[in-house]
Amino acid sequence: MKEVDVVIVGAGPAGCTTARKVAQAGFSVLIVDKRQELGAPIQCSGAVSRHALIENDVVPDVEFIHQPIYGFRIMNGLGDVTNIDYRELKPETYSEGPNGEPLGYIVDRRRFDRYLYTQAERAGAEGWLKAEALGYEKSGGEVLISIRQFNRLQQVRAKVIVGADGLRSQVGKWAGLQTHIKLTELASCLQVIVDGVETEGLLELITGSQTAPGGYGWVFPKGGGYAEVGLGIIAPYTAMTAQEHLDEFLKNSFLSHRFKHAKILEVQGGGVPLAAPLKQQFADNIILVGDAARHVNPITGGGIHTALSGGTVAAKFLNSHLRQNRNHAAETMERYHDEWLEAVGNQMWKLYKVKREIFKNGNVGQRDELLYDTMRNYFSPDSEFKKV
Amino acid sequence: MKKPVIFEIGWNACINCAACIAVCPQDAGFVSDFDTIAVKEPCDIACMMCEDICPVNTISHVVVEDRKDD
Repeated sequence: MKEVDVVIVGAGPAGCTTARKVAQAGFSVLIVDKRQELGAPIQCSGAVSRHALIENDVVPDVEFIHQPIYGFRIMNGLGDVTNIDYRELKPETYSEGPNGEPLGYIVDRRRFDRYLYTQAERAGAEGWLKAEALGYEKSGGEVLISIRQFNRLQQVRAKVIVGADGLRSQVGKWAGLQTHIKLTELASCLQVIVDGVETEGLLELITGSQTAPGGYGWVFPKGGGYAEVGLGIIAPYTAMTAQEHLDEFLKNSFLSHRFKHAKILEVQGGGVPLAAPLKQQFADNIILVGDAARHVNPITGGGIHTALSGGTVAAKFLNSHLRQNRNHAAETMERYHDEWLEAVGNQMWKLYKVKREIFKNGNVGQRDELLYDTMRNYFSPDSEFKKV
Repeated sequence: MKKPVIFEIGWNACINCAACIAVCPQDAGFVSDFDTIAVKEPCDIACMMCEDICPVNTISHVVVEDRKDD
């Protein structure tokens, strides 16, 4: 039977970051993913800040970058527009020139995830694709994880399981953690990749219930003349589906003139939690990281930065935990949750409270106004929330 | 009390987004081979949140009792 220190279930940004950093510390890591192509199907716009990559030791690489981003444009569909273009606000740092740098990127999730997986393997982690973790049993303070790779069923012994298996996390459910998300806190998202829509190196966000009840719409540059146009809605706030709202946005909104020549090249979608992080992200022999632990920004729905940071925190915890040869009982694993709260979690809880206050307001007009103001503040250079 | 249902998925419209699994309050394993909520076993919770969250409205259901009557 194969024996490792850590089994990581899910090879997305959170799982791969954890794997890379634990392997770099010299511990044995097996990372498994049921998919045959990492990053697919794409369920995300791929926006990530440059500092999120740098602070988590991911070198921005042309292998996965679709498009550099220099700022934001927030619109509410009622004529209000806020431009937050860092090329104008901080030209000494952010510019398209040879000495400047972008604020962030739109990454190709297939290539980005594969790149992170490669880095994890190069650091010494072993990776298995087409490998589905089916469950686990406890065994003398450790765990035996059942994994079916292709058609071969086998057990792997490990000290710790890291559940990095995304929003649909089964690891959290195995552990009996409270992972259920309310319908009012899961955005139903749909986006199309289009040709023929002009963009300016800005992430354009459209708030307002006429566009996306409970969420927001977006137009993101995708590089090579392509763009992503999409939206996320909260189902109980509307009788229409995300698909119907997107259709309306493309054909009959205040931005329709820009989509007149759009040719749809891809359709992508996903559930994005605009929710609080899980209140408990650990159990005996288990920790959760990334979407599986709801490490997602509850205002923007952005999850790449929080996944990378969560992976870094998880790895730091595991390296110290394994080095000190501690037991793997829940009380011991709780330290991971505390460290995560200190590093990013407390900020996320603050953001969640801001978001909850907005949506407590029963007046749709006021709610729209609050969301627009919150988005403007969030992306401004003076925002206190830049870390997530 | 709600009656158990069997979900049906219009696979042609399914974009494999997994939102239905994310919102599903069932225990681990209530999933199909295509990463959606289960379609072969009855759901006794029948909360229908999976149908509500589906961005392309491609989940429907039949009540198990009615199906037996067919």
